[in-house]
Amino acid sequence: MTSRSALSALRPGRFDWTGLFFALFLTIVIAVPLLVVVTWAFTEVWRYPSVIPQQFGLRFWHQTLSRADVWEALWISIRLSATVTLLSAVICLPAAYAFARMKFPGRDIFFLSFLASHAFPKFGLLVAIAAIFLKLNLIATFWGVVLIQLVGTLMLMIWIPVAAFQAVDRRMEEAARDVGASPLRVFWSITLPQAGPTIFAAVLLTFVSTFYETEGAWLIGAPQIRTMPVLMISYINNQIVVQYGAVLSVILWVPSFIALMFARRVVSNGGFAKGFGA
Amino acid sequence: MAQTAPHAAHGGSQPAQGRGLFGLLLVAIPVLLVGWLIIYPILAAIVSTLWIETPQGTSFSTGSYRFFFSDGYSLANLSLTLWTTAVCAVLLLVFGLPIALYLRFSTSRFAAYVQGLAIFPMFVPSIILSYALIRTIGPNGTVDLLLNAVGLPKLPSPYLTPWGPVIGLVWDNLPLTVLMLTAGLGGISTSAVEAARDVGAGPIRVFVHIILPRMGNSILVTVSFAVLGIFSAFTLPYVLGPASPEMMGPFMLRTFNDLYDPLNAKTQAVVSFGICLVFGLFYVWSIARNQERRSR
Repeated sequence: MTSRSALSALRPGRFDWTGLFFALFLTIVIAVPLLVVVTWAFTEVWRYPSVIPQQFGLRFWHQTLSRADVWEALWISIRLSATVTLLSAVICLPAAYAFARMKFPGRDIFFLSFLASHAFPKFGLLVAIAAIFLKLNLIATFWGVVLIQLVGTLMLMIWIPVAAFQAVDRRMEEAARDVGASPLRVFWSITLPQAGPTIFAAVLLTFVSTFYETEGAWLIGAPQIRTMPVLMISYINNQIVVQYGAVLSVILWVPSFIALMFARRVVSNGGFAKGFGA
Repeated sequence: MAQTAPHAAHGGSQPAQGRGLFGLLLVAIPVLLVGWLIIYPILAAIVSTLWIETPQGTSFSTGSYRFFFSDGYSLANLSLTLWTTAVCAVLLLVFGLPIALYLRFSTSRFAAYVQGLAIFPMFVPSIILSYALIRTIGPNGTVDLLLNAVGLPKLPSPYLTPWGPVIGLVWDNLPLTVLMLTAGLGGISTSAVEAARDVGAGPIRVFVHIILPRMGNSILVTVSFAVLGIFSAFTLPYVLGPASPEMMGPFMLRTFNDLYDPLNAKTQAVVSFGICLVFGLFYVWSIARNQERRSR
């Protein structure tokens, strides 16, 4: 039924009722739950059955931000995400360049091997890794969590940059070489400016997705390493003050918002779907 | 990183073999990481759940698997997981396909807004979504408030029932479903659709005879990818789902962390691998095929 009306959008000159329907439907389903959270974050009193809160205010922001466990978790999360993103960039970007430009034995097989991280049910894979880490005494350590999160970033940090390097115009590079530019100069002045924005988006998405990574951090990190998402789960489970969770949600969402600003172009023009092999 | 690939015409002084080795060197660390932290743990999990270490040495035993498949609680968790995965896959197609079709063929001003909203959940982490859904569809949540305000009775809340994770997982996986389906629809030319319309085909016939045959493969890839993600999802089932039976993700975490029982946790993981094997193989196979086609 809906696919039929979706196709009718092809006919010009008609009001786009289908579009209006999807727009309203998605606004209610996607936007409303998020607005509810934002409202709760700025609420001091909201008793059932009032549709709007009885009293707005910032009291719970002060309370949340004065908690030591929040700052500790935030600091660990930032350190973890920065370490993982940096390591991932250092090992993956040269590899992506090699995959895009060089010929070497086993290239295609190695390139496809990164799919392995998406070809198994993720939590099962994490448990299998955790069993290995148990023997290596990496459980409940910072570097154990770094390693398990690093594995999750590999595919995104290789497949998207490979597509970016391949999209660079080879003729421009060759022309620069012909007029005597050194390989380094060509890379810096021709290749990087063209591939740069997509690679930057990949790095940003890696940072953000690592920041929100919950499963690996909990399975490997518990109980010593407590990241923001893990702290948030314990807030939800222990049912302490509703507003703590709401305030944390709003704070937690900031990195994602920044990613949204920068990476939207890459995501919506299909580059991101390529990172998952679409 | 600092060296551009020496093109055959330019970097003639360097022997081809040396370049090959340099390329291998650049990809070595990520490839080794895949070997050490993906392939090896999976093989080790399979081997160590079948060859059990005992004080007398290792011996072959299928005991942990026999336990899993005879234990009522494990089986209940497995069937809940299968049910959730199947329902989510169907719902994702029911919602994702019309949206993708609309985005592919519409030129209206609503299209950009619809696309923005459909992709938006990608930027909302599961944990924030979990919290948002508790406040919205949970007991005394926004839905209850609104129903009460217009004088309707409360609906039974899906929170802490199997439908809680279903709602969350569909919400969470909608963006990638829409993106992957839209990418698949990109291969269908507008002129083919218009030609069919010109000879009088209705929208249903256009969909069944022109669009569906051309995107069958991308539907299967999308479903495979969604299944792999949903089958062992953790955060949403853990927060929104019932405590018992539980989905495989929370079940494995509890077995590993709370019961401190790596053997049975690994057994549960290997069972998950086995069940998702078909989807994983299909996913890898179809992407490998696409890559091949692209590089030709």
